[in-house]
Amino acid sequence: MRTALPGGVDLEKIISRLNNICQHCDYQGTPDCKEPACLVGFSRKVAAYAGQRGLLDIPGAHGLVPKGDFKPYYPEVVAPVLAETCRQCKECRDNHNPDCVVALVRTSMENTILSENINYPGSVFMYLAMVKGKNPELAALLGEELRKK
Amino acid sequence: MGEGVFKQRNGMVAVDIVAACGVLTPGQLSGLARMAEECGVFRLKLTSRQTLVAVLGGDGVDKLVGSLPELGLKVSPYGNVVRAVKACAGNSALCPRSIGEALDLGIEIQERYMGLAVPKDFKIAVAGCPRGCTDPYCADLGVVASGRDVFDVAIGGYGGSSRPLHGVVIARRAAKEDVFFLIGHVLDRFKALGEPGEKLGRAIARLGLDPFSPDRPVKGDEVKPPEDFTKFLET
Repeated sequence: MRTALPGGVDLEKIISRLNNICQHCDYQGTPDCKEPACLVGFSRKVAAYAGQRGLLDIPGAHGLVPKGDFKPYYPEVVAPVLAETCRQCKECRDNHNPDCVVALVRTSMENTILSENINYPGSVFMYLAMVKGKNPELAALLGEELRKK
Repeated sequence: MGEGVFKQRNGMVAVDIVAACGVLTPGQLSGLARMAEECGVFRLKLTSRQTLVAVLGGDGVDKLVGSLPELGLKVSPYGNVVRAVKACAGNSALCPRSIGEALDLGIEIQERYMGLAVPKDFKIAVAGCPRGCTDPYCADLGVVASGRDVFDVAIGGYGGSSRPLHGVVIARRAAKEDVFFLIGHVLDRFKALGEPGEKLGRAIARLGLDPFSPDRPVKGDEVKPPEDFTKFLET
């Protein structure tokens, strides 16, 4: 599997932060762990598929983001993944595509905590401002994560 | 229909040579280079429409033009016709950012429509993603891939003007066969309604968009995820 996609998107970093969420999950390694229905499992699948195919975008995949995953997620474990999506974002601005691998992971992670998705503006700075408007606690954690090297 | 053979200020002649949306095989390129030397070509210039202009003395023009069909090339049509189509390198084999088969579609459009007479020159640009490296919204008709086999179509753009216009989208997520339907429809309406020497964008400004819009619904296709991805999710 490729870990770097065209444009320099580093999937390995995203996957390792996603794995960290799984390590805190009670369902991990049990028959109840159903990846396609789980926001984290879906994200891992997206990253793995993109890595295998060398794709930045998976057309139509945003329609498959799980809508029925109501497990409790803690902002402390989700923020590092969201921060990694910010680091990997190429800031395509007007050309932002919701089927971009980074966007698919971001959307899934937002759904673990936020009641509704943020319409990604194609810019990390503007995104952080929008997160702050919706969830100041998450925005603070995200800011802390992004300050880490 | 005029041909792209022009007298230059310095007395030389420019021959505008068109390939498949700018794609040349090594054989075409080396064959053209050999003929260029034999015909005394002074310089070759790549153009913004992805054609190639050979500048040479008048004596070698007939020989150069005569050699083109054998190389699978032709002299670009000129004047009030559908011009050479501009397409980006967007397809599943080339540009990693492309989301549709733009280059292949552009070549097919060029083969079908290039040289067709219209009231004023008609430029078509095809792009494989919304980044639009071929400036599709600045063309008389722009096609932009919006998914694997679906395209947005805009008409009436006019980039080369002191009063530039951006094209207006008339169909989103149209299937490939609908793109051809739309191009045929717009060209028919333009031929019927456009005044001699009037750009499509100016005709739209004068008459409104409705007369140029499709007269039957163009089915917008929902983006379906790749089948292998849905299978991959379940594994």
